[in-house]
Amino acid sequence: MADEITAIFALSVLVGAVRIGVPLLLAAIGEMVVERSGILNLGIEGTLTFSAFGAFVAVEQTGSLVFGVVAGVLSGMLVSLVMAVLTVTFKVEQVVAGLALNLLGIGFAFYLLRAIFSESGTDVLSVETWDVVEIPLLSSIPWIGDIFFSQHWLAYVAFASLPLVWFGLNRTGFGLELRSVGDNPKAADLRGVSIAKVQYLALLFGGFMSGLAGSFLSIFSTGQFFPAIAGGRGWIALAIVIFGNWRPGRILIGSLFFGFLEAYQLTLQAQGSDLPLNLLLAMPYVLTIVALVVNRSRSNSPLHLGAPYLRGVR
Amino acid sequence: MELLGVHGVTTRFPGVVANDNVSLTIHRGTVHCLLGENGAGKSTLAETMYGVHRPDEGYLTLNGERLDLRSPKDSIAKGIGMVHQHFELVKPLATVENVALGTTGPGRLDLGKVRARLEELCEAYRIDLDLDTPVGGLPVGLQQWVEILKTMYLGVDLLILDEPTAALTPVGVERLFESIRRMRDDGLAVILISHKMHEVTGISDRVTVLRKGKVIDTVQTDSVQAADLVRMMVGRSVELSKATNHPPAGETKLSVTDLVAGEPSERGSLCGVSFDVGAGEIYGIAGVSGNGQDALFDTIVGVREPDGGTITIDDTDTAGMDPRTVSKLGVGSVPADRINQALLMDFNIDENIGLGRHGDRPFSIRGVLQRMAFRRRAEQAIEDYEIACPSASHITRTLSGGNLQKIVMARELEGQPDLIIVHQPTRGLDISAAENVRQRLIAERDRGAAIVLMSEDLDEVLSLSTRVGVMFDGKIVGEMHHDELDLDRIGAYMAGVLDTTDTHEVVV
Amino acid sequence: MTAVDTPPEAPDADADDENGDEKTGGRWRIERRLETSWYLEVGGVVLAMVAAILTSSILISAAGSDVLESFRALYRGGFGTRDAFVETLVQATPLIFTGLAAAFAFRAKIWNIGGEGQLYAGAMGAYWASRILGDSLPSIVLIPACFVLAMLMGAGWAGIAAVLRTRFGVNEIITTVMLNFIVLNVLSFLLNGVWQDPASFYAQTDRMSDAYQLPQLLSSGRLHLGFLIALATAALVWFVLARTSFGYEVRSIGANPRVAAYGGIVSNKIIIATLLISGAIAGLAGASELLGTQLRLQPGISSDFGFTGIIIALVARLRPAGVIVVAIAAGALRNGATTMQITTGVPAALVDVITGLALVFVLLAAVMVNYRIRRPQTDG
Repeated sequence: MADEITAIFALSVLVGAVRIGVPLLLAAIGEMVVERSGILNLGIEGTLTFSAFGAFVAVEQTGSLVFGVVAGVLSGMLVSLVMAVLTVTFKVEQVVAGLALNLLGIGFAFYLLRAIFSESGTDVLSVETWDVVEIPLLSSIPWIGDIFFSQHWLAYVAFASLPLVWFGLNRTGFGLELRSVGDNPKAADLRGVSIAKVQYLALLFGGFMSGLAGSFLSIFSTGQFFPAIAGGRGWIALAIVIFGNWRPGRILIGSLFFGFLEAYQLTLQAQGSDLPLNLLLAMPYVLTIVALVVNRSRSNSPLHLGAPYLRGVR
Repeated sequence: MELLGVHGVTTRFPGVVANDNVSLTIHRGTVHCLLGENGAGKSTLAETMYGVHRPDEGYLTLNGERLDLRSPKDSIAKGIGMVHQHFELVKPLATVENVALGTTGPGRLDLGKVRARLEELCEAYRIDLDLDTPVGGLPVGLQQWVEILKTMYLGVDLLILDEPTAALTPVGVERLFESIRRMRDDGLAVILISHKMHEVTGISDRVTVLRKGKVIDTVQTDSVQAADLVRMMVGRSVELSKATNHPPAGETKLSVTDLVAGEPSERGSLCGVSFDVGAGEIYGIAGVSGNGQDALFDTIVGVREPDGGTITIDDTDTAGMDPRTVSKLGVGSVPADRINQALLMDFNIDENIGLGRHGDRPFSIRGVLQRMAFRRRAEQAIEDYEIACPSASHITRTLSGGNLQKIVMARELEGQPDLIIVHQPTRGLDISAAENVRQRLIAERDRGAAIVLMSEDLDEVLSLSTRVGVMFDGKIVGEMHHDELDLDRIGAYMAGVLDTTDTHEVVV
Repeated sequence: MTAVDTPPEAPDADADDENGDEKTGGRWRIERRLETSWYLEVGGVVLAMVAAILTSSILISAAGSDVLESFRALYRGGFGTRDAFVETLVQATPLIFTGLAAAFAFRAKIWNIGGEGQLYAGAMGAYWASRILGDSLPSIVLIPACFVLAMLMGAGWAGIAAVLRTRFGVNEIITTVMLNFIVLNVLSFLLNGVWQDPASFYAQTDRMSDAYQLPQLLSSGRLHLGFLIALATAALVWFVLARTSFGYEVRSIGANPRVAAYGGIVSNKIIIATLLISGAIAGLAGASELLGTQLRLQPGISSDFGFTGIIIALVARLRPAGVIVVAIAAGALRNGATTMQITTGVPAALVDVITGLALVFVLLAAVMVNYRIRRPQTDG
């Protein structure tokens, strides 16, 4: 039991927590913005997979890691654009559209993978990955330096994006419009706000962030692509948004906490611990449901989340 | 000085002429009331001035120049603002944010400027409002103010207020009127839509009375009496049809005592309703909508649990019973909204004919639907009520309003219920369909059923009812037998200037 | 998320407003069609399928393979031979169950996304029954016992979402999604612990005794009794929805909960019952897979059957008979994919793309059938 307790504070676990938390954080920030505009996007898993694939192929074909990130982001935005067309323009039920995109995102990625690399059926393809960027001075701080300042550059982007997104939502005119659309689209419409424009932009931003997260999975951490690469992270990102009650600060905490749970679990598994590790892995989902129940009276959930907006229909 | 002119405006909606050749002028520095019953065309007229509707005929002028409004955006640009009856506020956002919405660019939000202007406005109109509280947490009266501030902030010459007092307490109304007077003194034109007589006489300089889409007259407020306005509003056409034979009422079927539902400050709540209805009697409930009719209907039929008082059907206290149990006591009910209360529009006609009794014989035997029973009942109804439809298994959505209502009537009158509650039974129906419904009700009365008829159509209530109660602010404020009907009194009850259940009368 | 509770086409009671909308704006807008007809509906689905196939053809030829040959291989692998067809039905069996589970809940406009988790709960129930009962009893007792416990477990798992929705007002979409992952982890926990086959390195149970094996329907191939149970369930679901007063209430809640309330139908009761039934049907899928094909409980017992079931239900426009047809088509796709990949080199993943495209096009077709786009006359 002592091993299990020391592992909580093991440096490797904490470094791993941040590393695992970064793609969760990126995807969750994107999803939060999308949901704040009133769209419930269940298609994150598919978006992550497709963008991980896009990034991977770009690196494999061009050898450029920068192109890889660009391709990953564009792939993510492509998927979210389809979501926008279906749900905003054609008013398709958001839940259904999201599930369809999961299937399509993963299916397309897998199909194209096989179509492009058909000859290499046996050996696993891999590409080079981004190196860890150690921030001068800061990275030499004991512990903190290793945990927070010896990560991939995308991790710094993720952390930096939090205050930016907070600022965008709460301190800009567009943020005001976006929050209004998510809570009461009719009020926004009557004030001359274009609902469709706001929701398209929100979804594209969500695709952008998921695109970064997907790129992280393929060309930052593994250098590989396989159809199950997202491994449920899209769903965890969704859970984090709810667990974080649609607030950037709590979403950061949620991402790191859920990242920690997984890193901790992996370490314990390696140690051959007798603790019920799978129950540990179920925690994010249990906590999300608990958060839903506990927060229900002071929920920050957008009031019009999940419902299409049709003029003249309330 | 003329600000806005309305010239021969006619606005048609499918099947209705909402405004029929309406002309009037609005002057700067005046408060102009639009008075009329529900459906008289007040809101349509106001929304036309605000650019929501485009007139089919006629035109508007602003400062003498032709005005062509394509959308509210145009009207806002021309200095015309409107506060809608239903609030459209983003509840989690603060007042400053609600006001700023749509007025800023996409970039950095400078709420300081908005706040400064709002503080000026609040000061000028003596509004005590915390600009940073989420508006969802504000009392309804203040939410009304947020709506008004949203419009004022844009800078308006003409402010249209659609029933702004519906949600306000008497003190709140007085404060609002004070502010409106100040706006008038600042040179604004204010259009106030209302059907409350004391408000109209208390605040306005000029009144335009509308009835059935037409302008009856535009008058200086101080040149007329409230009673004259009521008569204009209700219409002289109402022939009190004492001719209809009213059989004497039998034993009491429904007795409602001190029924309470919702908070008194809430619009449409019940604040102690009492009346009773006997067999073979039609008890008409007149009144302007929004005075508690919906809540009264819902509590009697069992959809809503009352917060106090009793509902006695025969000898059973039914307050809080579910609709199915109430219906089984021999109660038929026709709700006001056919599409959202009475009929499943995507179901077939024959399926709708069994709604509510779908679990009982003959429609179900041991939980299994008897489709032939539905079919037979529907075919019978189609024949009896002359419902125009291709077949009993046709989808309900495609039928006209009159035929939809016939389906509801056929369903609810089946099995000869002892008590029938109907709410707005002829709203939106053409003349012959409406007449058909009324004849049915008379036939049911003659059979011995006790009937509660709630309607905003005063002609209908007065001509059918054995007794008439007038509902105002969640109470029955006056009651009359059919042979003592007095239009002036009814108008006064409806306008809220007379209350015989209170000891002191409100002075006009 | 309250909007899920309100009917999608509930215009405001204020008649002025409703009419007003007719005249607003000059932009293109989507409005509901008053009348739809079966040929529009069927035509829409057919058109959607054609579109899905055309799009897939482009993908195939882009990958440098022969389109016709690929589809021929796909067909051959799915329906071409007796053995292929039998295997297609085996593949379709769990999908019929999960499709029905989704369709039942969706009829009441309850978004049960938890079919996957309820399937696992059901499989766990069936296996649990076998641990309790051992193998001393005859199959005729053991197998029904497994199915009953599977249904109870599936229903119970969905029941959590039902309680959260009716008691706490928590939306069922999120809870059912979360419950999927919780049950998977609980299963892994059991498979790595008390339920693990001591003789195996893998996280799986020991093989259940032959007494639990569902009877085979044919002398060759793997088609088992589960298929017939699936068909019977479809018939039962159809009967309950179309021919019982309970089904009438389920459909009423889905059509317009407010009207249903005036008709004396208590929403919460129906919501709970609907979710329990939906979960029980998904639970049957778990039992059928476990006892019919695998006899060994392991995490891979479902290959996305629950999620695919949702798609099948939607493509089938929530009709039980349609679910059977679409599930068999999906089974054939899954089954034929292998043949296609071997003979023409077109990746098997194409079938997921086809399924996804079919769904998207069916959704769009439904929009076209139920709505029309028009531009209101503004000048005049």
